[in-house]
Amino acid sequence: MDILTNLLSLLFLPLGTSILIIALGKHRKKYAPIVAFMSAIGALSLSYILLKNLPESVHYSWEWLAFGDSKFYIGILLDNIGATMLAMVSIVALCIVTFSIGYMSDDAAKGRFFAGVAFFMFSMTGIILADNLIMIFLFWELVGFSSYLLIGHYFQKEEAKSASQKAFIVNRIGDFGFLIGIILTYWQFGTTNIELLSIQSGIDPSLMSTFIGFLLICGFIGKSAQFPLHVWLPDAMAGPTPVSALIHAATMVAAGIYLLIRIDFILTSQVLLFIAYSGTFVALFAGFCAFAQDDIKRILAYSTLSQLGYMAAIFGMGYSGIALFHLITHAFFKALLFLGAGAVIHACHHEQSIFKMGGLFKKMPITSITFIIGTLALCGVYGFSGFYSKDSILIAANDYNSTLFYFLVFGAFMTAGYMGRLIWIVFFGKANSEAASSAHEVSAVMTVPLILLSGFAIFVGLNAYWPFGLGASIVSDLDHLHHLSGYKEIHKWVLILGSAAWIVGLGVSLIFYGKGSSEDRLQLKFPKVFAFLKGRLWVDELYQYYVNHIQKPVAEFLSFVDEVILRGIIVRGGAGLVGVLGVGFRLLQVGKINNYVLWFFVGLLLFWLYGIDLF
Amino acid sequence: MNDSYTNFLREISLTNDWLLLMPEIILALIAFAILGIDLFLKSKKRVWREKYLMPVAICGYIFVLGILFLDKSTFYIENISHFGGLIEQTDSNQFMRSFFVFASLFVTLISGQFLSKKSLPKAEYLHLILLSCAGFMLLVQCSHFISLFVCLELVTVAFYVLVAFQRTNVLSLEAGLKYLTLGGLSTAILLFGIVLLYGISGNPEMNGFINDGFQFQALQSFIGLNSDNLIVQLGALFVLAGISFKIGLVPFQIWVPDVYQGAPTPTMSFLAVASKAAGVFVLIQLLQGPFLALDAFLIPILSVLSVLTILFGNISATGQVNIKRLIGLSGISHAGYLLLGVIASYTIPQALDVVLFYLSLYLLSSFLVFASLAYMDNEDDSLLETKNYQGLYKKNPLLGVASLIGIASLAGVPPLGGFIAKVLLFIVAYQAGLYGLLAVAIIGVVISIYYYFAWIRSIFFIPNEDNTDCLKEVITLTAPQKIILIILIGSVSLAGLYPSLLNFFI
Repeated sequence: MDILTNLLSLLFLPLGTSILIIALGKHRKKYAPIVAFMSAIGALSLSYILLKNLPESVHYSWEWLAFGDSKFYIGILLDNIGATMLAMVSIVALCIVTFSIGYMSDDAAKGRFFAGVAFFMFSMTGIILADNLIMIFLFWELVGFSSYLLIGHYFQKEEAKSASQKAFIVNRIGDFGFLIGIILTYWQFGTTNIELLSIQSGIDPSLMSTFIGFLLICGFIGKSAQFPLHVWLPDAMAGPTPVSALIHAATMVAAGIYLLIRIDFILTSQVLLFIAYSGTFVALFAGFCAFAQDDIKRILAYSTLSQLGYMAAIFGMGYSGIALFHLITHAFFKALLFLGAGAVIHACHHEQSIFKMGGLFKKMPITSITFIIGTLALCGVYGFSGFYSKDSILIAANDYNSTLFYFLVFGAFMTAGYMGRLIWIVFFGKANSEAASSAHEVSAVMTVPLILLSGFAIFVGLNAYWPFGLGASIVSDLDHLHHLSGYKEIHKWVLILGSAAWIVGLGVSLIFYGKGSSEDRLQLKFPKVFAFLKGRLWVDELYQYYVNHIQKPVAEFLSFVDEVILRGIIVRGGAGLVGVLGVGFRLLQVGKINNYVLWFFVGLLLFWLYGIDLF
Repeated sequence: MNDSYTNFLREISLTNDWLLLMPEIILALIAFAILGIDLFLKSKKRVWREKYLMPVAICGYIFVLGILFLDKSTFYIENISHFGGLIEQTDSNQFMRSFFVFASLFVTLISGQFLSKKSLPKAEYLHLILLSCAGFMLLVQCSHFISLFVCLELVTVAFYVLVAFQRTNVLSLEAGLKYLTLGGLSTAILLFGIVLLYGISGNPEMNGFINDGFQFQALQSFIGLNSDNLIVQLGALFVLAGISFKIGLVPFQIWVPDVYQGAPTPTMSFLAVASKAAGVFVLIQLLQGPFLALDAFLIPILSVLSVLTILFGNISATGQVNIKRLIGLSGISHAGYLLLGVIASYTIPQALDVVLFYLSLYLLSSFLVFASLAYMDNEDDSLLETKNYQGLYKKNPLLGVASLIGIASLAGVPPLGGFIAKVLLFIVAYQAGLYGLLAVAIIGVVISIYYYFAWIRSIFFIPNEDNTDCLKEVITLTAPQKIILIILIGSVSLAGLYPSLLNFFI
């Protein structure tokens, strides 16, 4: 198979799967899981064959629309960064689809779920392969749409319905900026092709503009849930857990970071600085918020936010390779954690509050061990994948700015703290509810993906052993770090701080919360602190206030204008005028043939007079 | 005298390249074969006739399409006069040839159900469609007023019969009569214009007079020298009026709603698509050919025609509830947009391609609407109103979606093909500097949203209990009907998503 066929089949296989599942009609429920599973296997093998044969990078371009001298192109660009993403997405997707077969086994709308997941895979592959910003934007909207569908999977629940709407609307705000940014980029550079943009901004750096950069990263802020558009991600946990794992932890939210890496050459230093600071802020802020949550999925959602903050921070410091590194390691261990949480929720009959769990280690050993492996990877314990990427983030941050460095180290303490809280309460001690005491290990179709992913969570940090030369930009960034002056001292210092972070974090949380407690001790002992953390800086309330007190009056005013002036006078008036004319014209259609003939000749005569300039 | 005459004939017949016209000849032969089968199998094998005539015609079209695509060079020799200047082939008229075969194929496909249901004679209908298809294909290749007139009449006479085909229906008969009278009138005007041009160009007192005042190239050079002459202008105007009748431009549009309403649905679709496309194409050929030098005289008239047509078509379509009249009136507005491209073709060479692209999308989207209309299998389409579309989606989702895509593409909703076609058309108009016309066209599009969306809305609207429902309770489609609809939906959407794909066909 030549590379182009391979690429195209990789892109359209999930789309075909989605259409096929819909076309199955009433057989959907029975065959959807197996069709989706086969398609995920197919996608993984296609990516394997592709990556095996892939030269350094490939670029195909087709004319989309030619018109005189102006031509518009669509195309596929797959370079090393895209290939790395593709490998990660295919592996994670296969694990998650497999897990879903078990998790969704008793769901009534399986067909819709698997069709949605397949459609998401199509859009995500599209983002990875697109060679220009407009195509990225189209697929960007499609992933947003599939995310909207999947968050609202349990649309009977009010919570899921409003969460999907919230995700959709918040993302539109970011995408609006992104779209304007793309238009201005086209205006400025005359193209949106990524390779051409890179060449042009290299030739003439004066074309780069901070304003356009800020607009472009709006898309990233929305999709990767960065401050202040982060509010949708915790709510998005209302969707099925495998969806949270695939879309809201491993792939779609990471697409924002991927976009940044793709366009890093047109972002000016001010934009990068902003990303570094806002990323650090989110890393800390989300860590704090996680302490006040009792829903296992929401804790993980805040953890995702915080880790996205790390990726953004390191990207802003100019190490896009390390951002990609953390993106990949995070995708594996966070998918593992979410699936583990899914297994726990499944076993506890859809109980999500950690204070109603407890003592699950003995009942669900495989799930518990794999979950703990994921936690250790997330906390950056030496030898686990998270260690490698977090370690290099901290080293780079130390070199860049010591304030940010200490903030990020503090963030690592927090990570270990809230994850420790989760682990001790959920898996140890005694069961705190009926559901938890009757829980038992989930079936093999769910444990096998967990075991696979925990293997990745341990070993994927060894980037030197990645096949097919994936992650070349990671290697070059790491090389750069290794040759910093005083690297050895810094490395030692970071190693000590990093190890201290997880030891202290896990230890303190054990002492403070205790094993399997049934209530939040932070809430009991320091209610004010807890309330503050629970408030999450009141961003949601701020938006609520804005919507109620500012947007609503404006909307009401606009609605008045619309009702009275636009609709009342202009449209109704216009329609009235058109209607009257229409009636008038129809009167001409009297149906009498002699009138028609007369009309014919009068028309001819008038034209004659007009043609010879008589009037 | 005799010698020179035989020499002349011999010279002319040297360029008689019959092979080039093979596709048209094949179609005509099939037409007569169908008539023959019908005639000689009169009494005993009724079922046979009922069953096999249609496939014969369809295979004929597909065969002709096939040879036109695969063996292009055999039937196409570029830019040389054939048959002593009667026929001239260009890239664009080769495209139109396939266009008409497509159109006739679709008409044949949607006519089967109608003919069986009304127990109308199939053979005659198929025969006439085949012949007019051949007529259309010849018409676009004409470079001589005599051949043009003959081809045009071949088509028009066939249409007189096709419009009045449903002899038991009063509306159909009335439409036939109106079309016959007004068509006769327009033919007379056209012929008068041709004769005026012939007469004045053959006058030895005129500067640069010519022998063959029908031939386009000769006329072009003559009119180039005499563009201010009153009779030349009058002749050109009359020819223009005759063509405008076929396209349905204001003020020669008056027949359109009545005839569309009365004509059987397949005939209406043939009239709406093929007749309009042929008219527009011939208009461009005339304007770029013999009437090239009359631009100063004709452009203002064409501009006024375009403005009036767009406004009249759209305005009178708003509030029109009868589906077939609505199709006719909205079709008038599409002719107006096309005129924009025709005018732009004076200055922008790509305008011709854009017009062809627009015509192709108009064909696909219209047939999507017409096919769904025909497949609804109503008792009488002529009385169908927009509100009768209510609940269509519920009754048959595929028909609902097909109508939706077709109407939305006609309205120019992205990302369908009709949108790209309109955008391209407006871009050429902009490049040609026709700002005023462009503004009118955009107003027209805005008005058109009004009636197109009312139509779309009723497809998804669930009807009230008390609503008298013209549609059947259950609409079932046969497998070929489903395939046709899906192919049309696919091509309209694909043309919007990836318009360059059409390059493979043009």
